[in-house]
Amino acid sequence: MRASLLCGAVRTMIILRMPSLRQLSIAACAVLLAHTAAGQTYQGRELVKASLLADTSAVVPGKPFTVGLLLRMAPGWHTYWKYSGDAGLPTEIKWNLPPGWKVGEIQWPIPLKTIDPGDILTYGYQDEVLLIQEVTPPAKIAESSMKLSAQTDWLVCEKICIPGNANLVLELPTSTLAEPKNTDLFARYRRLLPQKFPDAKTASTTWSHAGNDLDFKISSEQIANYRAIDFFPLPEGNTVAGHPSIESRTANEISFKIPIESTDRSLSSMPGLIVFAEHENGNDRTALEIGPTQVTAAPLIAQPSRGLATFLFFGFIGGFILNLMPCVLPVISLKIFGFIKQSGESRAKIFHSGLAFTAGIFAWFIALALLLIALKSAGRDVTWGGFQFTNAYFVLTLSVIVLVFALNLFGVFEISLPPSLSRGMLSTAERKDHLGSFFQGVFATVLATPCTAPFLGTALGFAFTQSPLVILSMFVAVAAGMSAPYFLLSAQPAWMRFLPQPGPWMVHVKQFMGFLLLATLLFLLYVLGAQRGLDGAIWASCFLLIIALACWMKGAFIVPTASGLKRAIACGLMLVLLVAGGLYFIGNKFQSSKIDVAQNTSGGDWQPFTPERLQSEREQGHAVFVDFTAAWCLTCKFNEKTVLENSEVRDAFQRHGVVKMKADWTNGDSVITKLLQQFGRPGVPLYVLYPGKSQEPIVFPELLTKNVLLDKLETITVASR
Amino acid sequence: MKTKLILTALTSLAAGALYASDVPPVGSAAPDFSAPDANGKTQSLAEYKGKYVVLEWFNPECPFVKKHYGSDNMQKLQAEYTGKGVVWLTIDSNAPGTEGSISADQAKKIMDSWKTKQTALLLDPESKVAKLYGAKNTPNMVIIGPDGKIVYEGAIDSKATPNPADIPSSTNYVKAALDEALAGKPVSNTQTRPYGCSVKYKSS
Repeated sequence: MRASLLCGAVRTMIILRMPSLRQLSIAACAVLLAHTAAGQTYQGRELVKASLLADTSAVVPGKPFTVGLLLRMAPGWHTYWKYSGDAGLPTEIKWNLPPGWKVGEIQWPIPLKTIDPGDILTYGYQDEVLLIQEVTPPAKIAESSMKLSAQTDWLVCEKICIPGNANLVLELPTSTLAEPKNTDLFARYRRLLPQKFPDAKTASTTWSHAGNDLDFKISSEQIANYRAIDFFPLPEGNTVAGHPSIESRTANEISFKIPIESTDRSLSSMPGLIVFAEHENGNDRTALEIGPTQVTAAPLIAQPSRGLATFLFFGFIGGFILNLMPCVLPVISLKIFGFIKQSGESRAKIFHSGLAFTAGIFAWFIALALLLIALKSAGRDVTWGGFQFTNAYFVLTLSVIVLVFALNLFGVFEISLPPSLSRGMLSTAERKDHLGSFFQGVFATVLATPCTAPFLGTALGFAFTQSPLVILSMFVAVAAGMSAPYFLLSAQPAWMRFLPQPGPWMVHVKQFMGFLLLATLLFLLYVLGAQRGLDGAIWASCFLLIIALACWMKGAFIVPTASGLKRAIACGLMLVLLVAGGLYFIGNKFQSSKIDVAQNTSGGDWQPFTPERLQSEREQGHAVFVDFTAAWCLTCKFNEKTVLENSEVRDAFQRHGVVKMKADWTNGDSVITKLLQQFGRPGVPLYVLYPGKSQEPIVFPELLTKNVLLDKLETITVASR
Repeated sequence: MKTKLILTALTSLAAGALYASDVPPVGSAAPDFSAPDANGKTQSLAEYKGKYVVLEWFNPECPFVKKHYGSDNMQKLQAEYTGKGVVWLTIDSNAPGTEGSISADQAKKIMDSWKTKQTALLLDPESKVAKLYGAKNTPNMVIIGPDGKIVYEGAIDSKATPNPADIPSSTNYVKAALDEALAGKPVSNTQTRPYGCSVKYKSS
């Protein structure tokens, strides 16, 4: 910044010891080399030095930058937070900006809490504070340098209070290039800014009344990590809040009592900060901000406060619904086919098959739960509902399984267990059926995972914040839900009388099912294509061809009627084929296939999502809609086709000037994973509308409907006008 | 009735012994108190029963108090309503040794030079009255009805600044409440968030 001379008229009211009505005003001009600053003096002592700073060396037209009012207080003196507490006054900044310039609200660092004699509680800053604001210059600036001025008012108190004010000027050159300035200072105070309250996943809040008090409960795993936790209220209007006090505290739950002393006792909640620190007023303090709309916005989001029983119920229902999901459909058909076949057999046999199938489902879910618990305890970012699907190798493995099953259905080869295994594990043909049923159960569930049905999403979102035991029970609930119809049908085979009689048509049905599996394979290849590009999908297909060839060899040559030598040669050839094919196509070609994710997202008027872009659009006051999606997510594709690309919706977006962003999670981007977690979602789809700068984001249900979206778009625009 | 009042006062006193107690809610009985005024005369709330009483917490060195006295705003209010039969008690509850704590002599000087128009300026160096009313600020305003119940408590006006220039454009809550009450109407705004300096309680 150029050295500039400033004459900020600093008036300091002098408080005379002898009562006098005369208030002396002293005008002081501070001349400084580097920054535009002014000092407030009292009885010859400088109490506050105020200066305006920017985080940039120059103004770049159209590019938002940050300014800060730096107040340096004499030792023992303090200025106040936006809610000063029982006494005091918040600092004010009134900008006088040229037309076309915009300035955001003051971003207040987490204050310090002070209690003075008589239980006078105040919130403020000692020694130094930087009050940050975003400034957005217009896209065109004619001047070669800009003078931005602000009238600032503060109250500084020690034992007595003295108001101070200064008219400060910040002079910055205009340029097309700018360098960061004052980075350490801005970074230090940005770290002290409260964070937006995360939804559901990381923490949840409940408000209730107890007489004239508000009871406020926070559940979060974070609680265990901090010794000092406090609530700094931000009462609105004329609400008079007493001092919040801690009512109770457990490992991951803390509750506060906030007395309401004013007449508006029907208050249902109060904005404020939940402040976490090792020690009270520690420099390590962090805070979560509870906005005014937090409580009203919450019902839109599934609230995890419903309790374990409810969530287990949702898990059960979700599991049941998994049966209806398109990606399980082929397996359902498979299973129904199995039941038809079995309905000709004894009741006991059918029941046992049903049990085995159920066991398969349970086994898979329990295995998954254990894996998750292991990963969670290993501290890795894991979300479900497709975390496997963000891994190309998982999709590839699934493709291989689907292909092998399809070929099996076509009759290319028969699955026969090795005689040794048969002898050891399955002494009878009946037993073999059970093992088949068991693996069918496993298989059905593997295919079901990417279908995050709405209930399941909520239930699992909840489960992930929980202890291993809860995760396990959750998965067991899902397994129970999914297996319930099969179990019931096998236990009550009488109900199967509605099912058609077995017959030769079954061979055709079986082969037809093979085509359903091939269709599933196409979908998986599409996912691989989205993850690894056309090349990746082609190389994967090459490998699948090798697999198909191996299956054919198995069916044609490795049969009990063939001689031992023939079988050995075929086996060896198969192995060579598989290993060579795997090494070349997968280990080499597929491995090196990469895709630019932007290709997936840069469709039409959608911008690829980045947190920075979201931030900058919001700071410019734009409403932003973010579509969290993935190529493998069928629900996402459905919503996009039927709702988001609907002409009425497109018009509404355009009319309200909503910026549309697509966050592509196809490859499990870690930044997006984090955001999903913040919204308490284990996976995509997730639809979020950020209405205005200071408003809470609105989360839409996973099954998006046109009306809900249009309604919200209307209300938000009206509210922000 | 009187015993009940005393009981209330006693319990409140006990509760407020260590710190400023909670603000007694609007509509509840105003706790009785007695304190010496600048002339050494003991003033008590009970003796004004049947009249509207205004309590005004005071600190001659507080910029927020000076805002209203320096601009003659407070004096005008005092003159207008004492003229209408309202009792106006200004209370200095600042502990000795703190800013704003005054002796009886100093109090008289201030009343003289500032041309104040209140009924009496009470000295409450042990902050007893402030504790009874949970007063945390100067100025902090309380209006008590003829039935001894609190009618209004909170700020003097709507603009929480120390700047006298803001007075003309702000809503004076005390004036509004008194006008309504004296006209026999219900007070529409019975409670606001007070602003100002803190009452300087004794460090314990």
